[in-house]
Amino acid sequence: MKISWLLALREFKERWANRSFRWMLFFGPLLIVGVIYLLLISGNQGASAMRVLIADPVNLLDGKIVSNPTENVTYYFYDDYVEMDAFRESPKFREFDALIEVNEKVLINKKSFLFYRDAPSLALKMKLKFDLERRVEEVLIAQFTSLKEEEFRRIKQPLNIDFRNVDDPYNQFNQEISWVGFSLGYLMMFFIAVFGTNITRSINREKASRISEVLLASVRPYQLMIGKIGGNWLASMLQLCAWIIIVGAGLYLVKEFVIPEFFTPEYLQGIQVRGAEIKDLGYDLAVAENDQVNLVYQRINYGWLIPNFILFFIGTYWVFASFFTALGATSGDTSDGQQFAVPIWLLLGLSIFAGYNSMAFPESGLTQFFTFFPWTAGMVAMIKLAVGVSTTEYLLLLGVWFIQLLTGSLLVVLAGRIFKNGILSYDHRNSFKLLLQWLRKE
Amino acid sequence: MIELEGVTKVFHHKVALDDVTLTILPGQVFGLIGPNGAGKTTLIRLLNQILTPTKGSIRFAGVPLNLKHVRSFGYLPEERGLYREMKVLEHLIFLGQLRGFSKSEAAHSATLWLDKFNAGLWSNHKISALSKGMAQKVQFIGSVLHNPEVLILDEPLSGFDPINVELLLEQIKTFKEEGKTVIFSTHNMNSVDELCDEAALIDKGILVAKDRVSALRSRFKSGAFRVRFRGSKMAFAHALWTWFELLSCTELSEGVYEALIKSRGDYQFNDVFSRLSEDVKLELIEEQIPGMQDVFLKLVSDEN
Repeated sequence: MKISWLLALREFKERWANRSFRWMLFFGPLLIVGVIYLLLISGNQGASAMRVLIADPVNLLDGKIVSNPTENVTYYFYDDYVEMDAFRESPKFREFDALIEVNEKVLINKKSFLFYRDAPSLALKMKLKFDLERRVEEVLIAQFTSLKEEEFRRIKQPLNIDFRNVDDPYNQFNQEISWVGFSLGYLMMFFIAVFGTNITRSINREKASRISEVLLASVRPYQLMIGKIGGNWLASMLQLCAWIIIVGAGLYLVKEFVIPEFFTPEYLQGIQVRGAEIKDLGYDLAVAENDQVNLVYQRINYGWLIPNFILFFIGTYWVFASFFTALGATSGDTSDGQQFAVPIWLLLGLSIFAGYNSMAFPESGLTQFFTFFPWTAGMVAMIKLAVGVSTTEYLLLLGVWFIQLLTGSLLVVLAGRIFKNGILSYDHRNSFKLLLQWLRKE
Repeated sequence: MIELEGVTKVFHHKVALDDVTLTILPGQVFGLIGPNGAGKTTLIRLLNQILTPTKGSIRFAGVPLNLKHVRSFGYLPEERGLYREMKVLEHLIFLGQLRGFSKSEAAHSATLWLDKFNAGLWSNHKISALSKGMAQKVQFIGSVLHNPEVLILDEPLSGFDPINVELLLEQIKTFKEEGKTVIFSTHNMNSVDELCDEAALIDKGILVAKDRVSALRSRFKSGAFRVRFRGSKMAFAHALWTWFELLSCTELSEGVYEALIKSRGDYQFNDVFSRLSEDVKLELIEEQIPGMQDVFLKLVSDEN
């Protein structure tokens, strides 16, 4: 163990000495925070308050548009046509931020225009659209039916078929949360791909530099392999922890200082009320301006997910890293071994597919297979853990984790055998024949 | 004591070593010689358990060789490599720790060796910044810094300049004086003459000869003597009679000659002396014993 630790430490130091590794340690997570910030504010760019002039020469709206005026939008009515040049240039209209044209054709062709000076935010656009549509609907109801508005809206409601699993009738399997699990699984695969490739390269380099012969006179091949895996695991964990801390701190700073208005009770309540209003009215509009905010800050159970992520990262990394190690042991030089890399990349791809599959068909036979298949188990586990599992299911997942450890250990021993048997074959071309020879030979 | 018993190594139907049996005694400097591709490196790798014998066994101190033994050995492989991005001292400490030293022990030993090899100033330089010769020194230090009782050196002199060759040979002599066992393969026959107690010649995987170096050389002596004398050349030639053949005779100064003679029978040093001492004044008689270079050539040509 001491030997493997020494080898791992050396490997880790080599990673740390790499400048691009240190850069990515800090700038990678900052990039993620930046992307999340962009996602969060994407719905709130542009003007958030407006004075809107409604040009209604035929008095279609009867000078009314909303029953409850809000602070951020104020409507003014004008009973004549407004030329665009006049609206743009005339001091008379300078105080208005936007112009809505309403005429008698609106009822027939359902088309209106809003001209703005500064583009409204997504949230404001939704409100403007909603206010005008609702008022036009009221006019239509009054002109063409004898129904009350509430009756009309009840009739107008479309049939809503909610597809639900017979095993999950209350829809506890939450699609958005499962995407969180998928994202964590994806992150896992990303790290495994990056650091797994490093393992292969590192072993190749040692073979090419001939240092491996010196090492093999002091250590057993599997110790060497474990050292490689361990060193890269340490590097990946450092990077992962740095990412978690920096992304966590970044999200906190974004919440506290950059977009604190998203988290005021009024704002959150406003989202809920308007969302409910819109939904009740049967409009198929996006419910909340910032579902992402809600998801990222309110609904993810980080205390549960992060420790489990690390646990399954260890298992999945181990089972993939052993494969990458075997690849390195097989390759004659750093440019060789591409054909043997294909199965690994296929397995990584399969893992991503397994993630999609288990979100779409959580109970399917294929998902069951992916749950137990060591190379896809990590991804599926993350989705299951994000959505929520029973104690029995959790114990089952831990069982799968042990399968991963056993599979990885077996592969490491085989990789060690390949390495030792192939160590003296420098600059050879990879072939399955050689691989089999090295697997067999003592 | 290292004992090889019927050791055979086969690579993909190619026999690299064939039924080799030999014993290396403790405290010996043991030379492994042979043409390129003879199987010397294979034998050395077997001793380091980098390879496993296809047949036969290797024992160390009476028990089957194991990794614990091998870890205590010092090993300088023919194909040498270092981590280019590591610093010299850091690298040596790492190698020392792998061989069982603590960090402080490894650092202490590495510093002593670096100073001994005039490389102390390079301690904090990266390996990639070293010249080839300096890197060779670091590799050698890496193989000895844990103070091994058995040292296995595969072509240790290759790549060194003459000054460093001398340095290395002196160090091997010191190891010999300290009673360490040194096994080394080489193409430098002078070093075998100079250093080795015993030598084994391997050719095409077969152990052709193994004996004390003096015995190997004696085995191929031709009965030739170098004689320096003062007197008459004619008298000298006459005195040789039918016992010796005169191969050459050169006058070194007036009345002083040096001749090369060859025995026509099993005549020894004393016979030369008794035969000549009455007719000329002898200044030197030296039996011409072949060097290991000649022994090597003779053995290999005989084998072929």
